[in-house]
Amino acid sequence: MAPGRRGRIIKRSIVIGLVVAASLAMEISGFLATPESDRREVSWTTLHAIVPLVFAACAGVAWAIGPSRLPARLMVVFPLVWVPLSFLRVIEDLAWLWPFVYGLHLWWAVLTGILVLVYPRGWLVDRVDRWIAGIALVGSLGYLLGVLLLLGEPAAGVCDCAPNPYRIIEAPALFAIIDIGYRIVGVVLAIVIAGRLLVRWVRGSVPARTVAFLMPIALIAWVITLAAQAITYAAAGTTDLVLDTVSLVAIASIPISFVAGISHARNMRARVADLMRITREGADRGLWAESLARTLRDASVRVFWWDDEHGRYADAAGQVLDDDDAGRRGDHGLLPVASPTGVPIALIRHDRVLTDNMRLLDGVSSALRLSVDNGRLRSEIERTLEQVRQSRSRIVEAGDDARRRIERDLHDGAQQHLVSLGMRLRLAANQARDRGVEPLAVELDGTIGMLNEALRELRELAQGIHPSLLSSGGLALAVPELAGRCPVPVEIEVQPGGRLPEVVESTAYFVVSEALANIAKHAQATRGWVRAAVDGGALELVVRDNGIGGASVEAGTGMLGIIDRVEAVGGRLVVESPEGSGTTITVRIPLESETLAG
Amino acid sequence: MEAAPRALRVAIADDALLLREGIAKVLADGGLEVVASVGTGTELLEVAARGGLDAAVLDIRMPPSHRDEGIVALEQMRANGSTIGVLLLSMYATPEYALRVMSAGSGTGYLLKERVSEPQTLVRAVETVAGGGSVVDPEVVEQLVQRTRADDPLSRLTERERSVLELMAQGYSNGGIAQSLFLGLKTVETHVRSILQKLDLEESPEHHRRVLAVLTLLGAR
Repeated sequence: MAPGRRGRIIKRSIVIGLVVAASLAMEISGFLATPESDRREVSWTTLHAIVPLVFAACAGVAWAIGPSRLPARLMVVFPLVWVPLSFLRVIEDLAWLWPFVYGLHLWWAVLTGILVLVYPRGWLVDRVDRWIAGIALVGSLGYLLGVLLLLGEPAAGVCDCAPNPYRIIEAPALFAIIDIGYRIVGVVLAIVIAGRLLVRWVRGSVPARTVAFLMPIALIAWVITLAAQAITYAAAGTTDLVLDTVSLVAIASIPISFVAGISHARNMRARVADLMRITREGADRGLWAESLARTLRDASVRVFWWDDEHGRYADAAGQVLDDDDAGRRGDHGLLPVASPTGVPIALIRHDRVLTDNMRLLDGVSSALRLSVDNGRLRSEIERTLEQVRQSRSRIVEAGDDARRRIERDLHDGAQQHLVSLGMRLRLAANQARDRGVEPLAVELDGTIGMLNEALRELRELAQGIHPSLLSSGGLALAVPELAGRCPVPVEIEVQPGGRLPEVVESTAYFVVSEALANIAKHAQATRGWVRAAVDGGALELVVRDNGIGGASVEAGTGMLGIIDRVEAVGGRLVVESPEGSGTTITVRIPLESETLAG
Repeated sequence: MEAAPRALRVAIADDALLLREGIAKVLADGGLEVVASVGTGTELLEVAARGGLDAAVLDIRMPPSHRDEGIVALEQMRANGSTIGVLLLSMYATPEYALRVMSAGSGTGYLLKERVSEPQTLVRAVETVAGGGSVVDPEVVEQLVQRTRADDPLSRLTERERSVLELMAQGYSNGGIAQSLFLGLKTVETHVRSILQKLDLEESPEHHRRVLAVLTLLGAR
């Protein structure tokens, strides 16, 4: 990108340099070629020479920041057609050339007019604007044709030109009509342009006027002087120095106004970046409309949001966009904003003047689209997350329930059956012994022993599936039982806070069980501590040891299991395990998320 | 145990019919009189309220909540002023429950359910609690002894003293301990004194207090 950009800048600089050189050459050579008596004042000539320089300079700026390339091109061509009449003296002997130069010598006014028309968007938007430009161009071509075909030589005192070789008939009166008519058409068009600009300016909101006040002033000054000049030209065929000077200043200020206005609009675009920032911070709708008004410097801006339910637009305060609002298109523009999929998002009602700055509004609507999309995505994610959270919690609960049920089924079913089976075997063994069948009795004794062993295993299995002590006695009983089975001595402090929701108790039990298993397996600790207390609507569990530390969530899958389980019920877990200074696991489990009975 | 002048009158509460009948048969075979056999703690309380019972055998987990209805019934009976022997049966050997049972007062016992396949143990336990003694399942005692503790008082005991202690916790009298360990009564008494001294327990002649004290000590953390 950079080399291309540099190349473009160099190319443009060369073009501007050539144009300036050509313009200065025309000016200076013309001034020198004019006899001293006929020369205009040096001050006027200098000013006249400065005007194209201003255009060329502004072309450079417009190229960099302009809304399109057209304004810059108009500005850079301007010096070439800004032909001083004195230049005709330089080429007075070139009969084939001077009629063309003379025929083009007023084209700068056409370029200037079009430049005003394309302000500030960079192209002709309006049909009236296109008509004006078309008339000006056609008129200028007609004038050029008139000069070529009808003009014998320019007005007296301009030059001692060789006869016009293109002339077909001698009709000075006809040419005079064309000449004056062309100027009148030019003035009328300029007045129309100025009038349109003025009306737009007056109807614009106060902030909008600051954007565009330079251009109408410059244009009006030019038009007034142009009109005055045309009148004096028509009346006496002479020019007035003061009017000429004012006219030159006015013309020179047009490209400056253009560039200044565009750069002002660019500042507004920079403020759109601020709008983006507000968007990122997730502003609500009221704040958004407020920020938008500030960004656009247009207090009349209102944002109507699409209400999908009612199929209409309404602002943040709930006021519906009525036909009145929609109908006042004269002074306000309406900018619809829709999501990429075409779903309407909002309607921005703004000052009409802002319409002239489509890029700005593009930025605004992009920001709005982004904001709404962000908000929608955010709420979508939050909703999905909440669903996941709930389903995770439900899964944990369902798992707990299933385990409890299995344990109870074992307890009431298989275990009871095996116990009574053992009892019956015992009775059978006793009977066998009574009847003196000792070998059978011994055999039955052995079977009872095996049965009891099976019962023992089944008991441990059932306990592993779900600790019955937790169901019946809660953490106050189950935690000491867990600690008792840990090979490392564990000090326990379980605050008797009554029974907690089942899912909280089972989670806490799981945490303590896993944490104690970690202590036994990895910590190389000589002591452990378990503390459980209800505090502020949550169960706080602290499992600590004096082992080697260095435990991390990443390292051990055991820890990951604890985290999964804790987070599934909306809890939080913190592991502190500095190398060599033991491990402390702190878990908070909210009580209110579940209020299961029993 | 001294032989009772008449058959002890026993009530049984267990929600598993099969077991209930089995227990009744074992107890009847052991010379006890089973006067009632019910399925819930509440029903047992009604039976007990009618009087004339010497002992009750209760399942810990019974309807409606399948948690600790048996112990709740025991505590209720004690609260009502009943002093009959109460033996609780549990599928799991849980020291915490044993402590709770012992804490309800004298004449209580806690046994694993599978002891029903050892008729003598069951019958003897019922007789013990009916006589105001205490019974704790050996497996519970074993678990307590195996438990690791920050400050283990058991480490102060000799191997022999530890054996004596385990039997004490199971509710054996000095005589019973002497019989079990094939020791002289005097020797056992010396051991018991030494144990109670080492464990900083006040000596008490009462069976239950002995058992409770030992359990509490073992269970204390």
